[in-house]
Amino acid sequence: MPAEQTMTLEIFRYHPETDSEPRFQAYEVPYDEDWVVLDAINWIKDHVDGTLTHRWSCRMGVCGSCGMMVNGDPKLTCAAFLKDYYPRPVKVEPLVNFPVERDLVVSLDGFMEKLEAVKPYIIRDDVNDTSGGEYLQSPAELARYKQYSMCINCMLCYAACPVAGHEDEFLGPAALALGHRYNRDSRDRGRAERLDVMLAGEAIWGCTFVGECTAVCPKHVDPAGAIQQAKAVAAQEYFRRFAMPRGAKDAGA
Amino acid sequence: MSGRLHRPQRWAWFLERPGYLLFMARELTGFFVAGYLVVLLVTLGRLGGGETAFAEWLQTLSTPGWTVAHAVALAASVWHSVTWFAAVPQAMPIQLGEKRLPAPLAAVVMGYGPWLTVTTIIVWGVLR
Amino acid sequence: MKRSSEAFWWALFSAGGVMAALFVPAFVIVTGFLLPSGDAAAAAERAAGFAGVVGRWPVRVVLFGVIALSFFHCGHRIRHTLMDLGLRRFSGPLKLPCYGGALAGTVWAAMLLWAL
Repeated sequence: MPAEQTMTLEIFRYHPETDSEPRFQAYEVPYDEDWVVLDAINWIKDHVDGTLTHRWSCRMGVCGSCGMMVNGDPKLTCAAFLKDYYPRPVKVEPLVNFPVERDLVVSLDGFMEKLEAVKPYIIRDDVNDTSGGEYLQSPAELARYKQYSMCINCMLCYAACPVAGHEDEFLGPAALALGHRYNRDSRDRGRAERLDVMLAGEAIWGCTFVGECTAVCPKHVDPAGAIQQAKAVAAQEYFRRFAMPRGAKDAGA
Repeated sequence: MSGRLHRPQRWAWFLERPGYLLFMARELTGFFVAGYLVVLLVTLGRLGGGETAFAEWLQTLSTPGWTVAHAVALAASVWHSVTWFAAVPQAMPIQLGEKRLPAPLAAVVMGYGPWLTVTTIIVWGVLR
Repeated sequence: MKRSSEAFWWALFSAGGVMAALFVPAFVIVTGFLLPSGDAAAAAERAAGFAGVVGRWPVRVVLFGVIALSFFHCGHRIRHTLMDLGLRRFSGPLKLPCYGGALAGTVWAAMLLWAL
């Protein structure tokens, strides 16, 4: 095998202080079949062009910070092997459906607001009361939500979702799956509060079950399934509140 | 920060991923199923109009144009059924203790099984 | 953000999706292929059998439920498809043709099935 095999990365560049338009810059990188796209980007940053900006941390599919569009697909670049693309060039862009801060870095602001909106934590009045001991949960109760708790907030699902691309009110796959995760937790009492948020506007109803969020999820969370289940819960709640307008909010969980 | 770059979604976003095209194919079944339902209502109307009117209408429906239209409607409605049954295990999972009823089995129990039963009863009821 | 009526339309969409998935292919086979096929004598016999089946009240009630819910299923699906294709700012006005059309189909079905 010749020692100096290379391949081309075409990388999206945008520096807000100098660029009015984004551009693509091609870099030749050494080809190593053990390398992932993130290794190649790091190599460029270290050896060729220190101005290239990208996010990454764990390199092992846990932190969720290296998500980018690789040849148009939302991918964790730490899990996208060069050998799956070689010898053709690889085009790397920041995740779509998010504003670009700089080069491959997107803004997280909107995503964070949506995550917060679903109150992704256990809500109950006696949360500080430890006199009763632990809040026990059976394996079956854990199984009800465990899959939906595996999200690493990599936002690939937002980049795969066409509705997230044009409807700001839509809370999006990860946030809705996370809300559903807490609604299904036997220790939680905050379902009515969360449903207030989910029933509003296009927050959940914007979803048309395209299903690509589930297809791209590196953690097999299945946000698409979670959202349909959450719609059914929300619809039941809607009819319950319609039938009993008064005091409906008191009856949580 | 004012320098953030916004990249608007293109109108033809559904061309960008094969999964989007499959989604559009599923959504478009709505037009075909609705169209068929209108034809079904016309058929029921002719049935109420007496034997002669109904026989004439069936004669019309046996022309090639209507056969092709019904073939399209059949394909669209079957595609709706197949995609719907694929979604059911995701949207309505059946939990058995710590396990979930496996998706293929759930699709048969909640989709294909009832579908086959209903279709058999209807076709048998008319042909008998 | 106001509470939306989407939950109501989605529930109809959902119920109609089940009905359409289970019943509509069989309906198409019957009215599109079985009834119009064969020579005149065979067709007349099948038409008479069809009239007998549809004439029964339980069958009419099921037919009405399937047709009405399927219409609302289609109306909701069509509305959201159009919204996804760029008509999102008309999500309110689109309710009129989509759900109004479904309602018209429902009323029409009720009148026809009642009169049979």
